[in-house]
Amino acid sequence: MATHPTQYANPEALVETDWLEKHLKDDAMRIVESNEDVLLYDTGHIPGAVHVDWRADLQDPVIRDYISPEKFAELCSRNGITPDTTCIFYGDKANWWACYALWAFRLFGHEKVKILNGGRDKWKAEQRPMTREVPKYPQTNYPVPKKRFDKEIRAFFDEALAQSKSGKPLIDVRSPGEYKGEITHMPEYPQEGVLRGGHVPGAKSMPWKTATKDDATFKPAEELAKIYFDQCGVKPDTDTVVYCRIGERSSHTWFVLTYLLGLDKVRNYDGSWTEWGNKVGAPIEKGA
Amino acid sequence: MSKGCGKLDEAGTAEIADERYPTKLNKIINLFESLPEDERRETLVSYADNAKKQEPREGENFDLVDVRKDEECMDTVGVYLHVDENGKAHIRMTLGPEVQTLTRAMASVLCKGLEGCTPQEILDLPSNFVTRIVGAELIRIRSQTIYYVLTRIKGICKVYLDRQRMAAVA
Repeated sequence: MATHPTQYANPEALVETDWLEKHLKDDAMRIVESNEDVLLYDTGHIPGAVHVDWRADLQDPVIRDYISPEKFAELCSRNGITPDTTCIFYGDKANWWACYALWAFRLFGHEKVKILNGGRDKWKAEQRPMTREVPKYPQTNYPVPKKRFDKEIRAFFDEALAQSKSGKPLIDVRSPGEYKGEITHMPEYPQEGVLRGGHVPGAKSMPWKTATKDDATFKPAEELAKIYFDQCGVKPDTDTVVYCRIGERSSHTWFVLTYLLGLDKVRNYDGSWTEWGNKVGAPIEKGA
Repeated sequence: MSKGCGKLDEAGTAEIADERYPTKLNKIINLFESLPEDERRETLVSYADNAKKQEPREGENFDLVDVRKDEECMDTVGVYLHVDENGKAHIRMTLGPEVQTLTRAMASVLCKGLEGCTPQEILDLPSNFVTRIVGAELIRIRSQTIYYVLTRIKGICKVYLDRQRMAAVA
C-alpha cells in the first residue's frame, strides 16, 4: 500500500484566517479578493483587500484568452503590487475563483502567492472584520513580464488531446452529471453554450469540491493524496492535465496538486469543456 | 394604468422604450443610465441591501405564492403576488442566502418598479431594460440569473391570469 504525505508539500501556500487578521496591515503583502459574484466585493470585504474581477481584469475583452503581460503589469501597478509583494487570494465558493486568479498570476510569473484557507466563507462565518471601504495603494511600477507561462501551467486543446491519447492523467473536475454527459451545464447555473455532453476520453472524474471540507478549507494532505494519487492515478513524475468548463474549477484542483501535493507537472486546460464540447471532431466519451 | 405599460416592439429606441415601461420602473432605469460605472455599482449594492425589505410583511395576504429552488439559480427564490380590487399587482420576494448580489438587486428593482402594474402589463414587459440597469460591464453568462427574477415574476402573473380566465369561463 502506498504511503502518503502527512503534510502539505508547500504549507506556506496557505494562510489561516486568524493569522491574516493579525497581519492585515503588513506592507509586504496584498490581500486580493476574487469572486464569481461580481458585486460581492462591493458588499463588504476584508479590510485592505483589493478586488480582481476574473473577467474584467484577467481576461482579454475581445478574444478568448488572458490579458497581455502589459495589462497584467498595469493591473498589479494600480493595486500597489510589486514582484516582491505576497498576494494572498481569497474569495467565494471555497476559493474556487481565488485559485483561478492565483493561477492567472502564476501565468504571468508572479511567484509570491498564497490562498486564505477557507476563503471568504470561513472569514465571514467567524465574524471577522469586513468593510466597504475600497483601499488606495500608491501606484507601483510592476515590470512587464517577459513571458506568459503558458507552456508550464496551461494546456491547450492539442495538448489535452495528446494527453488523452497517451493515457496520461486527465482529471475532469466538473460535476458527475456533466462528466457523464447527462447535463451540459453546471447544476444551478445557466447553460454556457456547449453543444455536446460527456468528457475527454480517458479522463477521471473527480469534482473539484472533493478537495475541500464543509468549512471550505482544504482537506489534509493524506486525504488529498488518496483522492488524487489512489483514485485518479496521478503520479508525481507524470504530466497531469485538469479541466472543467472554462478552467476556473480546475484552477482549484491545479492549486491542490501543485501546491498542496507538490506536483510540478500539472497544467490547467482552461479551454476546457466549452472548447472541447463544441470542437468539431473532438472525441468524446459518455457515461461513468 | 401607469403610463408606459402598453405594448411596443423589442427593438424600440430609448424614447420609445421609455413609454413601454411602468413609470416607477422607468425612473429607476433613467437613474441607472445617468450614473457613472462606480456609482451604478454602489446603487446596485444599495438595492441588493434593500432586498430584505421586499419580503412579505406580517398580515399581508397573497393570491399566489411560488417558493422554489430551480436548477438555474443558486438558492430558493419565493415570489408572492397580491392583486388588489383595482387589478393592480403587488409583489414580494424572498431570496435564499446563496442568491447572488446582482440577482438580489434586480429583485429589489422589480418589486419597486412594478408596484401597481397589472399582471398583464408585467407579463407584456420586455426584458431589454435589464441591461440598461445593470450595464454591460457586469453582464456575463454567469450573471444571467438577473433575468431569472423577471421570469419568475412573469410566471406567477401568468398563472394568476390563466386562473382568472378559467374562472371566467367556468
